[in-house]
Amino acid sequence: MLSYIARRLAMMLPTLVGITLLVFLLIALSPGGIGASLRVSGGQMEASKAAQLEAYLEDRYGLDDPVLMQYARWLGRISPVKFGARDQVTPSGELVRPPKDVKPLFLGDSWFSDLALDDAAKARLAALPPPGPLLDEAQVLEEHKAATRAYAAARASYVAATRRLKDAVATYAEETGIAGAVDADGKPVEGVLARHDPVDAAPSWQPVQAAALQALESLEAAEAAGARLGRAFDARPFPEVGVPIIPGSLSLAAPDFGVAFSRGRPVLDLIATALPVTILLNVLAIPVIYLIAIPTGMLAAVRRGSWVDVGTGALFVALWSVPTVWAGVLAIGYLANKQYLGLFPVSGLHDSGADSMLYLPRVVDGTLEPGYLLDLLWHLALPVACLVYGGFAVLAKQTRAAMLDNLSADYVRTARAKGVPARAVILRHVFRNSLLPLITMFVSVFPAMLAGSVVIERIFSVPGMGSLIIEAINLRDRELILANTLMIACVNLLALLLADILYALADPRVSYD
Amino acid sequence: MQNRFGLKDFVLLVLLVVVAVSVWLGISAGDRNLEVLLRIEKRLGDLETSLFTGGDSAKTGDLAKEVAELRTAILQRPVNVIIQGGGTASAAPAEVVPAGSGQAPTSTPSSPSATTASRDESWARPGVAIEWQEPWRFSSDPREVPGFRVGGEFTEIFGAQPAKLTPYLSSDVYGRRVIDEVCDSLAAYDPATLAIRGRLASAWQQDPDGLWLRVRIRDDAVFSDGAPVTAEDVRWTLKDFVFNPQIEAERSRSTLDMIEDVTVIDEKTVEFVFNQALFTNLAYSLGIYVLPKHFYAQFEPSTINQSTGLLMGSGGFKMPALDPARQWAPGEDVVIVRNDRFWGPRTPLERLRYKTVTNDLASLVAYRNGEGDMLTPTSPQFNQTRAEPDWEKNNWSLEWVNMRSGYSFIAWQCGPRNGRLTPFHDRRVRRGMTMILDRERMIRDIFDGIGIVSTGPNNPESPTANPAVEPWPYDPEQARALFAEAGWEDRNGDGVLEDAEGKEFQFELTMATGGEIVERITSYVKGQCTRAGIRCNIRLVDWSIYQDLLKRRDFDAVMMAWSASSPESDPKQIWHSSSILDQGDNFIQWSNADADGLIDAIRRTLDVDERMMIWHRFHEVVHEDQPYTFIRVSPWLRFVKGDIGNVETYKVGLVPSEFFRGAGPVPKPGS
Repeated sequence: MLSYIARRLAMMLPTLVGITLLVFLLIALSPGGIGASLRVSGGQMEASKAAQLEAYLEDRYGLDDPVLMQYARWLGRISPVKFGARDQVTPSGELVRPPKDVKPLFLGDSWFSDLALDDAAKARLAALPPPGPLLDEAQVLEEHKAATRAYAAARASYVAATRRLKDAVATYAEETGIAGAVDADGKPVEGVLARHDPVDAAPSWQPVQAAALQALESLEAAEAAGARLGRAFDARPFPEVGVPIIPGSLSLAAPDFGVAFSRGRPVLDLIATALPVTILLNVLAIPVIYLIAIPTGMLAAVRRGSWVDVGTGALFVALWSVPTVWAGVLAIGYLANKQYLGLFPVSGLHDSGADSMLYLPRVVDGTLEPGYLLDLLWHLALPVACLVYGGFAVLAKQTRAAMLDNLSADYVRTARAKGVPARAVILRHVFRNSLLPLITMFVSVFPAMLAGSVVIERIFSVPGMGSLIIEAINLRDRELILANTLMIACVNLLALLLADILYALADPRVSYD
Repeated sequence: MQNRFGLKDFVLLVLLVVVAVSVWLGISAGDRNLEVLLRIEKRLGDLETSLFTGGDSAKTGDLAKEVAELRTAILQRPVNVIIQGGGTASAAPAEVVPAGSGQAPTSTPSSPSATTASRDESWARPGVAIEWQEPWRFSSDPREVPGFRVGGEFTEIFGAQPAKLTPYLSSDVYGRRVIDEVCDSLAAYDPATLAIRGRLASAWQQDPDGLWLRVRIRDDAVFSDGAPVTAEDVRWTLKDFVFNPQIEAERSRSTLDMIEDVTVIDEKTVEFVFNQALFTNLAYSLGIYVLPKHFYAQFEPSTINQSTGLLMGSGGFKMPALDPARQWAPGEDVVIVRNDRFWGPRTPLERLRYKTVTNDLASLVAYRNGEGDMLTPTSPQFNQTRAEPDWEKNNWSLEWVNMRSGYSFIAWQCGPRNGRLTPFHDRRVRRGMTMILDRERMIRDIFDGIGIVSTGPNNPESPTANPAVEPWPYDPEQARALFAEAGWEDRNGDGVLEDAEGKEFQFELTMATGGEIVERITSYVKGQCTRAGIRCNIRLVDWSIYQDLLKRRDFDAVMMAWSASSPESDPKQIWHSSSILDQGDNFIQWSNADADGLIDAIRRTLDVDERMMIWHRFHEVVHEDQPYTFIRVSPWLRFVKGDIGNVETYKVGLVPSEFFRGAGPVPKPGS
């Protein structure tokens, strides 16, 4: 059994990689691609400014790298095994990484391989503030702070200069008519251009030359700033995270899910606020489904063909076929609307005054003050009801079918023949043996719990996982989608494993060895 | 096999009871603590209110007033302060002798000009006119409205959750609405006239060449913690917050990149230096939120980047929690409370609450149930609900066009599409297209009768709009003549127009997918085109593909809308022929030399009146050329509860800091 579990766990790793890779490629290949939401700026900004802003954001989130490299980088960050220098962590809990490398100059290997800075530019570079001393802890911290800011500024100006260079090259390429040099987005293609030698005589060559010089200068400035920051980082301004295995090259550390760029907040923070809400909804809903559906299913099986069987069957299937959107809207329109019944609140999880409510209900001057707990339950009543009503049919029918299978089995007849009371036959013999399919059903509940219900959350304005995920997909937020996918995939795989283990436990005939 | 209640069961039961009782005790203890805390908080609030506003006690009120006057006097004249009237609690103004400026002391200033004479101009650059600003007052004084009352909470229902409330990092419209109440700027648009008026600024001087701007900050302007607003705060906000590359405020950074430098002249005077003279410089630089350096400088850039509600300023309201560990986070209602130290006119409301309800029906029900005082209804909701018999008695249904109203249009491809010219390169054809579309009917039938016909790129409430421009009439006959003039005639009698070479007049109308309205529009446009002998093919695409098509200029006609946020925005991005290049927003490739010249003139002209004249001419040129068929200006719609007073529909939108909550229904605005 243990070896089986170990084998299954080992198999999960490639499965997880496969799932996340698939999802990642789906986002990358969808129209707009990763981070499409970052690029919207119509009408409010000059095109050149918008282009530079886009280049800057792409650089910050690594969106300008090839798709597979982005995925590999993400995998490296969430992997508990890390290579290279260890990250550091600030007292407020943010990770500090070694500085990212600066990209080489656009067409630097071909067109601009012998470009050289003039003396004025060299003088400007030489006049950059020198690195500070790193003698004591305060100086290390101070220098790291200054170097971080200097590097951010230098990198931003290099990114902007590169963008200007690319625009100049695109204009030049269009003018001189190099086939295939500009792609559909109007960006120059380095590979194609490198195979052509530039024609110096073209009128648009001059701006290219000037832009290249500027880019080169800012590249050198950025490299200098990067080196300065690297030095400050190596002086270890903050404690390092994780446990070293081979110092300097291999270590173990907690996975880092990164920052969701559509919200500018750590992914884990976002999940940590949304997940409890969804789990709360489900923790209330699932027992209700089970407590109603299973006894009803049993009763329907025992009284097969009676009005109980037919009635509950019809009712549950009818409920199951009511769309949640419609039911939610009806519930709000009639149950919550004070023009009609007005019994429940319309939206949210708490009353406006919930912050100053006591937790437990109490009676003050003869009136009941509901308190925080009751207020919460009252707000959850409609969403939970909408979550619940569709779940009865499947579970009740499953129970009924499994019970019927067993009721006609030989051992049941034997038990009855030897005089076991009918009640004991049903509960102890039949029901126990009908549990197997229910176990499979039960584990499938967990992944659904995490994913949340998009429809119900939207209708009742509940800030849960469903809303989070759908928004992440709409905004093509790489980090958030991948973290959610990974989490749901993990829970799904673990739930499947749990189902198999429970099978073996519940049925002695099942063995994996 | 009998189940007996054994010792094991007993122990288990006892343990269960113990756990239950201790959980209950724990909660009760927590409740007791909370009760005490709430009492203390309430008393603290009362104390603060009575300290800074006088509360209901006349004595403390006078005292506070006197202290405030003293402070003003001291701040204005650091030397030679003589206070008359002794310790009486009367509101006798402090007599002040100007410090050695050689001017005669003015006795009790009665007219604004008299005040000007005694104003301290030592901060200003000599020889350049100073634009003095009257102190910011209510545009409509709530105290003069019958039923006026101080206090109470006002709840607005938002349709979506703001992602963050940290200034400059928040990018959605809802976040901005909250920040506007908490953070203050040097100047703002006057709600009624849309002129730029000083808020934190008491005066400014603008370089005649537009390359610098010197601003004097009000002496009595303080942040919500009582610290004065200084020139250093302005400098820090721009140089060390917005322009700090580690702060994720790149959108503001891009809009403000014409600011070359900000220098502190003295404690209350700051100077902006621009790298180019643009007409937008004044509004943009005076419009920045001034952040308190002493508050924001204590956080690391990463803390600010990941914050959700680090919000502090000098506005009429303030965030109750300023600690990063207790800041507001999405999912909760946003609550801001009155800033009792506010330097401007005192806001009547005690608290503003913003509640998010994401479903349209649910938000209307929430509003009806009294969970909100203001709601933005959808157009059908607005019409249906307003028609209910008792609605107008207890609610106000507001519908008005203001400076934030955008406009929708059909944009015609004036340049080549994939190397071939579309029929719309001819302006007679574009004008004809406008004439075959009955825009008034479109508003009536498609947009539920809500909106007015748009005449051009400028918001009708803005002074930039030319009131003389009338929309082109709906006139299919004249359109036919125009088409014929341009060479499109039905030459073979099949009911479809052809050009001289026999090619049929057909085009593709590209729209982003989205619901019923889009369907109604497409069927109407298609029908009108068929009637005029034009084949119109509809292409519905996803929004992201749509944007890609715009960038590649791969369309014949598109329908979309521009939103607006201020009375005047730079027209270059959308209308100048230079924005055809580099994937600029002139996606229709409209190139008009007159318009280009006017746009350049608008951008250069700093004098407001002169600039407005050029705007009007620009409006005319666009109207004549019809690169867009302008369809509809979409007004703001609001439902407001009848007990909210002084809800004025201004040209800037609404001003919640002037609202009050009456004891019962209060008179309607405008009556």
